[in-house]
Amino acid sequence: MGYFREGDARAIIREAYGQVQADGATVAEAFYAPQELARIPREAVELALGVGHPIRHASLRPGEVVLDLGCGAGIDTLLAALAVGPGGRAIGLDMTPEMVERTRRHAAAAGLANVEVREGLIEEIPLPDASVDVVVSNGVLNLSTRKSRVLAETMRVLKPGGRVSLSDLVLIETLPEEVLKSPAALAG
Amino acid sequence: MLLKKFFNVGLEDIAVVERKPFGLADLARYPLFTKEFLAFLRNAMPVHRHEELVFSIVITAHKPFA
Repeated sequence: MGYFREGDARAIIREAYGQVQADGATVAEAFYAPQELARIPREAVELALGVGHPIRHASLRPGEVVLDLGCGAGIDTLLAALAVGPGGRAIGLDMTPEMVERTRRHAAAAGLANVEVREGLIEEIPLPDASVDVVVSNGVLNLSTRKSRVLAETMRVLKPGGRVSLSDLVLIETLPEEVLKSPAALAG
Repeated sequence: MLLKKFFNVGLEDIAVVERKPFGLADLARYPLFTKEFLAFLRNAMPVHRHEELVFSIVITAHKPFA
Protein backbone atom coordinates (compact mmCIF):
# COMPACT_ATOMS: atom_id res chain seq x y z
CA MET A 1 0.00 0.00 0.00
CA GLY A 2 2.95 2.28 0.45
CA TYR A 3 3.06 2.92 -3.30
CA PHE A 4 -0.24 4.84 -3.27
CA ARG A 5 -1.26 7.99 -1.44
CA GLU A 6 -4.45 7.68 0.57
CA GLY A 7 -6.56 9.80 -1.77
CA ASP A 8 -5.27 8.04 -4.88
CA ALA A 9 -5.86 4.62 -3.37
CA ARG A 10 -9.39 5.57 -2.37
CA ALA A 11 -10.17 6.85 -5.89
CA ILE A 12 -8.86 3.66 -7.51
CA ILE A 13 -10.88 1.46 -5.17
CA ARG A 14 -14.05 3.55 -5.49
CA GLU A 15 -13.86 3.39 -9.28
CA ALA A 16 -13.12 -0.35 -9.40
CA TYR A 17 -15.94 -1.29 -7.04
CA GLY A 18 -18.37 1.25 -8.47
CA GLN A 19 -18.00 -0.20 -11.94
CA VAL A 20 -17.94 -3.90 -11.12
CA GLN A 21 -20.73 -5.92 -12.69
CA ALA A 22 -22.37 -9.16 -11.59
CA ASP A 23 -20.67 -12.09 -13.25
CA GLY A 24 -22.02 -15.35 -11.89
CA ALA A 25 -21.92 -16.45 -8.27
CA THR A 26 -18.60 -18.23 -8.09
CA VAL A 27 -17.20 -16.06 -5.28
CA ALA A 28 -20.27 -16.47 -3.08
CA GLU A 29 -20.49 -20.20 -3.77
CA ALA A 30 -16.94 -20.61 -2.49
CA PHE A 31 -17.79 -19.26 0.94
CA TYR A 32 -21.52 -19.51 1.71
CA ALA A 33 -23.91 -22.44 2.04
CA PRO A 34 -26.60 -22.84 -0.65
CA GLN A 35 -29.35 -22.40 1.94
CA GLU A 36 -27.85 -19.05 2.95
CA LEU A 37 -27.59 -17.84 -0.64
CA ALA A 38 -31.18 -18.86 -1.29
CA ARG A 39 -32.32 -16.15 1.15
CA ILE A 40 -30.39 -13.35 -0.55
CA PRO A 41 -31.37 -11.51 -3.78
CA ARG A 42 -29.53 -12.93 -6.75
CA GLU A 43 -27.70 -9.72 -7.66
CA ALA A 44 -26.29 -9.42 -4.12
CA VAL A 45 -25.05 -13.01 -4.39
CA GLU A 46 -23.44 -12.37 -7.78
CA LEU A 47 -21.75 -9.19 -6.51
CA ALA A 48 -20.25 -10.83 -3.42
CA LEU A 49 -16.58 -9.84 -3.44
CA GLY A 50 -15.50 -10.97 0.01
CA VAL A 51 -12.76 -13.39 0.90
CA GLY A 52 -14.42 -15.43 3.63
CA HIS A 53 -17.53 -15.77 5.78
CA PRO A 54 -17.14 -13.55 8.85
CA ILE A 55 -20.81 -13.91 9.82
CA ARG A 56 -20.24 -17.62 10.44
CA HIS A 57 -17.86 -16.74 13.28
CA ALA A 58 -19.75 -13.74 14.66
CA SER A 59 -22.17 -15.73 16.88
CA LEU A 60 -24.94 -13.23 16.15
CA ARG A 61 -27.92 -13.20 18.47
CA PRO A 62 -31.45 -11.84 18.01
CA GLY A 63 -31.69 -8.16 18.88
CA GLU A 64 -28.04 -7.27 18.31
CA VAL A 65 -26.76 -4.31 16.32
CA VAL A 66 -24.22 -5.32 13.67
CA LEU A 67 -21.99 -3.04 11.63
CA ASP A 68 -20.60 -4.30 8.29
CA LEU A 69 -17.51 -2.29 7.35
CA GLY A 70 -17.32 -1.94 3.57
CA CYS A 71 -20.62 -3.66 2.91
CA GLY A 72 -20.31 -3.75 -0.88
CA ALA A 73 -23.50 -5.07 -2.46
CA GLY A 74 -24.68 -6.22 0.94
CA ILE A 75 -24.49 -10.00 1.21
CA ASP A 76 -23.03 -10.00 4.74
CA THR A 77 -25.22 -7.09 5.86
CA LEU A 78 -28.31 -9.00 4.75
CA LEU A 79 -27.17 -12.25 6.38
CA ALA A 80 -26.52 -10.31 9.59
CA ALA A 81 -29.98 -8.75 9.40
CA LEU A 82 -31.53 -12.20 9.06
CA ALA A 83 -29.52 -13.46 12.05
CA VAL A 84 -30.37 -10.62 14.42
CA GLY A 85 -34.03 -10.56 13.38
CA PRO A 86 -36.54 -7.73 13.43
CA GLY A 87 -35.53 -6.72 16.96
CA GLY A 88 -31.95 -6.16 15.84
CA ARG A 89 -30.31 -4.02 13.19
CA ALA A 90 -27.64 -4.47 10.52
CA ILE A 91 -25.83 -1.37 9.38
CA GLY A 92 -23.88 -1.45 6.11
CA LEU A 93 -21.18 1.17 5.62
CA ASP A 94 -19.49 1.75 2.26
CA MET A 95 -17.66 4.64 0.61
CA THR A 96 -18.88 3.75 -2.90
CA PRO A 97 -22.26 5.32 -3.75
CA GLU A 98 -23.09 2.55 -6.23
CA MET A 99 -22.60 -0.10 -3.54
CA VAL A 100 -24.67 1.83 -1.00
CA GLU A 101 -27.50 2.00 -3.51
CA ARG A 102 -27.18 -1.69 -4.32
CA THR A 103 -27.32 -2.75 -0.67
CA ARG A 104 -30.40 -0.58 -0.11
CA ARG A 105 -32.07 -2.13 -3.14
CA HIS A 106 -31.14 -5.67 -2.10
CA ALA A 107 -32.41 -5.14 1.47
CA ALA A 108 -35.71 -3.89 0.09
CA ALA A 109 -35.94 -6.84 -2.30
CA ALA A 110 -35.33 -9.21 0.61
CA GLY A 111 -38.00 -7.48 2.68
CA LEU A 112 -35.53 -6.64 5.43
CA ALA A 113 -36.67 -3.54 7.27
CA ASN A 114 -33.88 -3.85 9.85
CA VAL A 115 -31.11 -2.90 7.39
CA GLU A 116 -29.64 0.57 7.43
CA VAL A 117 -27.04 1.63 4.86
CA ARG A 118 -24.69 4.57 5.22
CA GLU A 119 -22.21 6.09 2.81
CA GLY A 120 -18.95 6.86 4.56
CA LEU A 121 -15.38 5.90 5.32
CA ILE A 122 -14.36 3.01 7.51
CA GLU A 123 -11.63 5.28 8.88
CA GLU A 124 -14.31 7.73 10.10
CA ILE A 125 -17.27 5.57 11.06
CA PRO A 126 -20.39 7.75 11.17
CA LEU A 127 -21.80 6.17 14.34
CA PRO A 128 -21.75 7.15 18.02
CA ASP A 129 -19.40 5.64 20.59
CA ALA A 130 -20.41 2.26 22.05
CA SER A 131 -23.40 1.83 19.76
CA VAL A 132 -22.67 -1.53 18.10
CA ASP A 133 -22.63 -5.10 19.46
CA VAL A 134 -20.68 -6.68 16.60
CA VAL A 135 -18.44 -5.39 13.81
CA VAL A 136 -17.96 -7.60 10.77
CA SER A 137 -15.99 -6.98 7.60
CA ASN A 138 -15.10 -9.06 4.58
CA GLY A 139 -12.06 -8.32 2.43
CA VAL A 140 -12.05 -4.62 3.14
CA LEU A 141 -9.45 -3.79 5.78
CA ASN A 142 -6.63 -4.63 3.35
CA LEU A 143 -7.92 -1.85 1.07
CA SER A 144 -7.29 0.84 3.67
CA THR A 145 -4.01 2.73 3.91
CA ARG A 146 -4.87 3.39 7.59
CA LYS A 147 -5.67 0.00 9.08
CA SER A 148 -4.87 1.03 12.65
CA ARG A 149 -7.28 3.94 12.31
CA VAL A 150 -10.01 1.57 11.10
CA LEU A 151 -9.43 -0.70 14.09
CA ALA A 152 -9.40 2.27 16.50
CA GLU A 153 -12.74 3.36 15.05
CA THR A 154 -14.01 -0.19 15.43
CA MET A 155 -13.07 -0.08 19.12
CA ARG A 156 -14.80 3.27 19.53
CA VAL A 157 -18.16 2.19 18.13
CA LEU A 158 -18.21 -1.22 19.86
CA LYS A 159 -20.08 -1.54 23.13
CA PRO A 160 -18.03 -2.94 26.05
CA GLY A 161 -17.76 -6.67 25.42
CA GLY A 162 -18.62 -6.13 21.75
CA ARG A 163 -17.22 -8.53 19.17
CA VAL A 164 -15.30 -8.38 15.91
CA SER A 165 -15.29 -10.96 13.11
CA LEU A 166 -13.23 -9.97 10.13
CA SER A 167 -12.17 -11.79 6.96
CA ASP A 168 -9.24 -10.48 5.00
CA LEU A 169 -6.21 -11.29 2.91
CA VAL A 170 -2.74 -11.28 4.41
CA LEU A 171 0.68 -11.67 2.89
CA ILE A 172 3.00 -14.34 4.19
CA GLU A 173 5.75 -13.39 1.73
CA THR A 174 5.96 -10.02 0.04
CA LEU A 175 4.83 -9.54 -3.55
CA PRO A 176 7.11 -8.36 -6.38
CA GLU A 177 7.37 -4.58 -6.64
CA GLU A 178 5.69 -4.53 -10.06
CA VAL A 179 2.63 -6.16 -8.50
CA LEU A 180 2.60 -3.85 -5.49
CA LYS A 181 2.64 -0.84 -7.84
CA SER A 182 -0.31 -2.11 -9.87
CA PRO A 183 -3.63 -0.23 -9.34
CA ALA A 184 -5.50 -3.43 -10.24
CA ALA A 185 -3.75 -5.30 -7.44
CA LEU A 186 -4.56 -2.48 -5.02
CA ALA A 187 -8.28 -2.73 -5.79
CA GLY A 188 -8.24 -6.44 -5.02
CA MET B 1 1.50 -7.63 11.72
CA LEU B 2 -2.28 -7.38 11.37
CA LEU B 3 -2.85 -9.20 14.66
CA LYS B 4 -0.53 -6.73 16.38
CA LYS B 5 -2.70 -3.88 15.11
CA PHE B 6 -5.73 -5.57 16.73
CA PHE B 7 -3.79 -5.89 19.97
CA ASN B 8 -2.52 -2.30 19.85
CA VAL B 9 -6.03 -0.82 19.79
CA GLY B 10 -7.01 -2.84 22.85
CA LEU B 11 -8.97 -5.73 21.40
CA GLU B 12 -8.80 -8.96 23.41
CA ASP B 13 -9.03 -12.70 22.78
CA ILE B 14 -7.71 -12.19 19.26
CA ALA B 15 -7.83 -15.43 17.31
CA VAL B 16 -7.32 -16.52 13.73
CA VAL B 17 -10.21 -18.93 13.33
CA GLU B 18 -9.68 -19.69 9.62
CA ARG B 19 -6.60 -19.58 7.42
CA LYS B 20 -6.58 -20.73 3.80
CA PRO B 21 -4.21 -20.22 0.87
CA PHE B 22 -5.52 -17.89 -1.81
CA GLY B 23 -4.03 -18.27 -5.26
CA LEU B 24 -4.46 -17.24 -8.88
CA ALA B 25 -7.40 -19.62 -9.39
CA ASP B 26 -9.19 -17.96 -6.49
CA LEU B 27 -8.53 -14.48 -7.86
CA ALA B 28 -9.90 -15.52 -11.24
CA ARG B 29 -13.38 -15.88 -9.69
CA TYR B 30 -13.56 -12.14 -9.01
CA PRO B 31 -15.08 -9.83 -11.63
CA LEU B 32 -12.75 -7.11 -10.34
CA PHE B 33 -9.84 -8.62 -12.25
CA THR B 34 -9.35 -8.68 -16.00
CA LYS B 35 -7.80 -11.55 -17.91
CA GLU B 36 -4.91 -9.21 -18.71
CA PHE B 37 -4.26 -8.52 -15.04
CA LEU B 38 -4.39 -12.21 -14.18
CA ALA B 39 -1.91 -12.93 -16.97
CA PHE B 40 0.32 -10.17 -15.65
CA LEU B 41 0.22 -11.72 -12.18
CA ARG B 42 0.94 -15.18 -13.58
CA ASN B 43 4.06 -13.83 -15.22
CA ALA B 44 5.13 -11.61 -12.35
CA MET B 45 4.79 -14.20 -9.60
CA PRO B 46 7.10 -17.17 -9.24
CA VAL B 47 5.35 -20.46 -10.04
CA HIS B 48 5.58 -21.73 -6.47
CA ARG B 49 3.42 -18.78 -5.37
CA HIS B 50 0.62 -19.31 -7.90
CA GLU B 51 -1.43 -21.35 -5.44
CA GLU B 52 -0.49 -19.26 -2.39
CA LEU B 53 -0.32 -15.61 -3.42
CA VAL B 54 -1.76 -14.62 -0.07
CA PHE B 55 -3.80 -16.21 2.72
CA SER B 56 -7.43 -15.54 3.49
CA ILE B 57 -8.03 -15.43 7.21
CA VAL B 58 -10.89 -14.81 9.59
CA ILE B 59 -9.95 -13.00 12.79
CA THR B 60 -12.22 -12.74 15.83
CA ALA B 61 -11.72 -10.55 18.90
CA HIS B 62 -13.70 -8.61 21.45
CA LYS B 63 -13.62 -5.31 23.23
CA PRO B 64 -12.95 -5.55 26.98
CA PHE B 65 -15.97 -5.19 29.26
CA ALA B 66 -14.33 -2.62 31.49
